[in-house]
Amino acid sequence: MSHGCRPFLPFLEVFGDGELSADKVLEVEQHLAECRLCRERVRLNAALRASTRQALRAAAAPSSAFQARVTQAMAAERERQEQRVLPQEMPDRQRARWLPWHATAPIAAAAALTLLWARSNHQSEGDHSGASDPPREALAGVTTSPATESVDRLIDEFLKNHASPRAPELLEPARIPELELQVGVPVPRPSLDQYGAHWEGASLVAVPVQNHRAASLRYRVAGHRVTLYVYNADRFPLRATLEPRVVRNQAVFIGTRRGYTLAAIERRGVGYAVTTDLSDRESAELIAATIH
Amino acid sequence: MARPSEHDRPRDRLLTDDFEREALSHLNSLLAVGTRLTRSSAEAEDLVQDTLVKAMRARHQFEAGTNMRAWLLRILTNTFINRYRRGGLERTVLEGPDSDPLADAWIGSSTMEAMRDPESQALRPMIEAEIRSAIDELPEDFRLAVVLADVEELSYREISEIMNCPIGTVMSRLHRGRRMLKSKLHEHARAMGIIGPEPVVGREDSPSEPVDLRTYREKRSAAS
Repeated sequence: MSHGCRPFLPFLEVFGDGELSADKVLEVEQHLAECRLCRERVRLNAALRASTRQALRAAAAPSSAFQARVTQAMAAERERQEQRVLPQEMPDRQRARWLPWHATAPIAAAAALTLLWARSNHQSEGDHSGASDPPREALAGVTTSPATESVDRLIDEFLKNHASPRAPELLEPARIPELELQVGVPVPRPSLDQYGAHWEGASLVAVPVQNHRAASLRYRVAGHRVTLYVYNADRFPLRATLEPRVVRNQAVFIGTRRGYTLAAIERRGVGYAVTTDLSDRESAELIAATIH
Repeated sequence: MARPSEHDRPRDRLLTDDFEREALSHLNSLLAVGTRLTRSSAEAEDLVQDTLVKAMRARHQFEAGTNMRAWLLRILTNTFINRYRRGGLERTVLEGPDSDPLADAWIGSSTMEAMRDPESQALRPMIEAEIRSAIDELPEDFRLAVVLADVEELSYREISEIMNCPIGTVMSRLHRGRRMLKSKLHEHARAMGIIGPEPVVGREDSPSEPVDLRTYREKRSAAS
């Protein structure tokens, strides 16, 4: 190493990054004019930076499929926001924690009203599309949208059913698809074999809000109870209140409450959700691996 | 009615589509950083999508007039840490004040010249692959610092905000990350015969320099 280099070495890299203070720049430049070795050091640093940039940028050109997927995810998020009533200013973290069950009191009130109204107006089952919205004036002062109420109500039912399951109504896995008649959407026979799941039986969960039923399929995985639900996602868009996350290339919607985790995938109007006492990541993985 | 041009419109009143468009214009950057962080293109895509959805949700927290790319990279880094590294970025034993700032002073000038020689452009694809794998082998926080500085060309201050650490730490991580890269590429260049054996330390300025380059050129013409 040449004699005068040592004091300049710590500054050469910072100089190359253009982050050196003006007075130091002058000193370094003066030294560079005299020292070939240090000029070479600066050049090598620059060459390395350029090669790194080129190597990594070349490797990361997004595919058009990925661009389309991201654009779609962002549009879905915008749509979700437009439907939402939550104050946008709430910090992200806090919102994540409270999102699905914000404003519990108004929801409970609204749900109670809806329930009463629905009961007095609908004695028979059938198509209630649009009919279950309570009268506007009944909801005056309530800031939650009817869609959010129904969704929170459904989540409540899922968790209640998960926490204290009733005796299964159907024990043969082969008969699971028959539940389509009650649920109103196709009910596949999911396989959780890869997790060594033990099948415990199926039942129906009634949701009072829209006289809707969801299929509840119960499993046990490594000592944990796992309930998988199939529901009508057009009427109960869980995606409207849960946190989105991408797992295995699919959008999974996640929330936690009372120590349970809920993870849902909604596709072509059919919703698939699991409730577990596993971590949110494990639940998301479980539903993403099961529904694909 | 004449619509206000892009320039007339204040940033904080950007239309939905403008925000999305600008965010999407940073897709390459996000993917480049995400790929190096996760070391997997599939996971990087998931991470980037998560990042953009989170950005949509936090869009009102974005300060108009600030660097959106740096803001998005910060979300990406946080998402990565929360999702994959619950305990924060991996801390290496190398953390702390740099004990040996002169440690890369051993490379001689002829070697440096050969390493950046434009004639070795023919080897570029191989060198690019080598750089990528060398970067992937760096400890996580060194890797992130190098990628943010050298690929994304962010300032020390922006990197310190993204990595949530003092500027001095950024400089130290950068320096050590680059030094590791340099030494890996040096090994590679030697293995490829681009450079000869390193002269004894202290004799780097010896007049025998051109030998390395000539050897390299001879090897290249023999190879082609």
